[in-house]
Amino acid sequence: MEWLNDFLPLSLERMGIWIGAICTVALYSILYRENPAYRLFEHLFIGLAAGYSLGPLVGDILYKYWYLPLTEGAWWWAFAVPFGMWLYFIYSEKYGWVSRIVIGVLIGASAGLFFQQFCSLYVPQIYASFKPIIPTGANEGLLASNAINNFIFIVVLLSVLTYFLFSFEQRGPVKRTAVLGRWMLMIALGAIFGNTLMARMALLVGRVYYLLHDWLMQI
Amino acid sequence: MQLALDMSRDGATWMMAAIVVLAFLGMFGLVFLLQMLSTQGRRAIVVAVTFIAGLIFALEFFLPAQPVDGQDKNFLSDPTLQIQNFLQVVAGMALGLGTYGLLRLHLRNVVQKRAQWGYSASLLISLVVMGFLSIWHSLGEKNVEGQPLVATNETAEYIFSVLFNNMIVQMDAAMFSLIAFYIFSAAYRAFRIRSIEATILMATAMIVMIGIVPLGKAISEGIGLPAELPPEYAKEPFSLTAILYSLKLPTMADWILKTLNAPATRAIEFGVAVGGLATAIRLWLSMDRGLGV
Amino acid sequence: MQQQNIWTKLIRVDRRILYLILFLNIAVFLMFPFKMPATITSPARGLYDAVDSLQPNDLVMISSNWSASTMAENQPQLEAIIKHLIRKGARFTLVSNEAQSRDLSKRIAVGVTQSSDNAEYHTYGQKWAHLGFVTDLIAAIRGMGSNLSEAVKQDVEGTPIDQLPVLQGAKSLKDYKMVIDVTPSGTLPYWISYRPPNLIVGYAPTSVMAAEGFTYLDSKQLVGMITGLKGAHEYEQLMGETGLGHKFINAISFSHVLILLFIGLGNLAMIMARRAQGEA
Repeated sequence: MEWLNDFLPLSLERMGIWIGAICTVALYSILYRENPAYRLFEHLFIGLAAGYSLGPLVGDILYKYWYLPLTEGAWWWAFAVPFGMWLYFIYSEKYGWVSRIVIGVLIGASAGLFFQQFCSLYVPQIYASFKPIIPTGANEGLLASNAINNFIFIVVLLSVLTYFLFSFEQRGPVKRTAVLGRWMLMIALGAIFGNTLMARMALLVGRVYYLLHDWLMQI
Repeated sequence: MQLALDMSRDGATWMMAAIVVLAFLGMFGLVFLLQMLSTQGRRAIVVAVTFIAGLIFALEFFLPAQPVDGQDKNFLSDPTLQIQNFLQVVAGMALGLGTYGLLRLHLRNVVQKRAQWGYSASLLISLVVMGFLSIWHSLGEKNVEGQPLVATNETAEYIFSVLFNNMIVQMDAAMFSLIAFYIFSAAYRAFRIRSIEATILMATAMIVMIGIVPLGKAISEGIGLPAELPPEYAKEPFSLTAILYSLKLPTMADWILKTLNAPATRAIEFGVAVGGLATAIRLWLSMDRGLGV
Repeated sequence: MQQQNIWTKLIRVDRRILYLILFLNIAVFLMFPFKMPATITSPARGLYDAVDSLQPNDLVMISSNWSASTMAENQPQLEAIIKHLIRKGARFTLVSNEAQSRDLSKRIAVGVTQSSDNAEYHTYGQKWAHLGFVTDLIAAIRGMGSNLSEAVKQDVEGTPIDQLPVLQGAKSLKDYKMVIDVTPSGTLPYWISYRPPNLIVGYAPTSVMAAEGFTYLDSKQLVGMITGLKGAHEYEQLMGETGLGHKFINAISFSHVLILLFIGLGNLAMIMARRAQGEA
């Protein structure tokens, strides 16, 4: 395709960047007001993204996990795709229930696998919650600051857990602990909020950088 | 000899194609047979399939394993490997379900010439063109014994690269970056500090937002707080240097994240764990309401 | 009355003016960069030290599960990690649970390896490879944990797993030293839960996901974590590199200041408007 460069006012690479910039500006036009350019590019984006997903699906899934075993003589794999396609009956009123068989396989497998997740993911966290808070012979080297932090950690953990106890009416010390738990939860949500804002700003910074650096070449 | 080989290869290809066709016909014929079942029969099939799928993985995890060829295995280990590959195919078909849904909806818009059907037409054209090029690209990338699986074409690869790198990637990034504008506007208009909870949330967010970026370090050190905590002060948490170091915005943010945020999110995780386990058992045993049969 | 008008107008300011202010704020700090060193947090140090302690030819799995929507955060992370792996002479493979990431992460890996001084990385398949896209990550992790060639079969270029030079001697994930999950979604619990126990886990999430990572850091289920773009900036600083993290971090820092100022201003305007209403 390099030969095209001789006939074009811009290099192929610059043209590609112009296309990217036009796409970005068209989508950003929604910030001003709803308009046909935004609608068009929105639809183009959805169509292109959905179309693109077919490549990895065919190349990496159907070819590797369906076609290859078939060529190696495992004829029973032929049934995998039509079985998966039973999912598409979901749109049929009459045969819709057939899709539930495939969904049942996926859900059943996830449920069976969850036992392993429970043991491997959550049990170590229960162990890790038993933290030393008193510097004794067994906890040699435990600094006072660490002991205080460990104590705070346990208080926060227990108070937030108490806040999630809905099996009985919270009264007296339980209620006070639950209130503390709600405040501690607000701290966690505050941290998540702060991080979320940072993530969103980062995405915008990336886009502004593309416009200023790649397109306008001002940076 | 060469001809015989080709013929045998062709024969194998035809045989495989026949098996695939038969499998499709068989599986879709089976649907009509299954359709004859009563509601109870249908329900029994869904319940049984769900239970067996879960049981295989649960047993494979819980049953003791013996070392075989350097791997810890039980009698279900090898079958589960095949089942997992089977799940890749089924999950792949589920992925295609979204594309199929889009096609259905927008084809109907175009055929029935509903309002703004032109946008649907543009979506369909882009989907079909990109779908074709993307499949060509992913298969064209592959080699079989040094030969390309599918012959590639320079122009098609170039168009694919423009559509992917200059359109999909840029529009995806742009679409999600729009949220930054909305979140900024919402924070200005709607974030009102009216309760203790809102105040705590805001104060934490402020410390974290400034503390975790380099600006927090610059501000803290700008007002004279120590840049580093010398090792000799690590064991004296109540010394002036250690206290001043603790007041640095990055130190405070780090402490909030590790000592207050971590246990609070852990408590949420424990809730998720118990809820997840209960849900898993209910789903596995089909104890939830209606299966849609 | 005049005062009430000002505060009420401030509350009801056109959203497009707010958008413009944010855009300009970011553009200005991108166009006029200055150096602000980061505080190296212990999670970032943990990931850096874990990668730094790898021996030449140790195998690392990079689980790259992001699409272009989070490119600004995940791309600098992935680039920094690959650069570090190359510096250590480690072998690495990529796998993606996100369709787009199949091509995006391969493109980035090609870019970083080609621009590296280490010629061993210039030929695809020698020191690194991309194992492609998987739809069911749990099935893939469990499968790779017991039999790599059966679970993955081929890389993206169609080479059978047992013929890839980068994977010589590797039968399963047990032969890997480490996995690093570069992700904007909840894939980390899958890696922690279903990986072989000898495999240490590093985490490179988007900032949104990072707060949840601290509980796994505390329980030592994670060896380290770099939080979004600012984590990538810390990592680059530890490596003495100047990447996208360095270019973006000032604009992010001051966008935070802007947001906090505007939250304060919004609250002040509300209080003043109410007070003015009360006086009237």
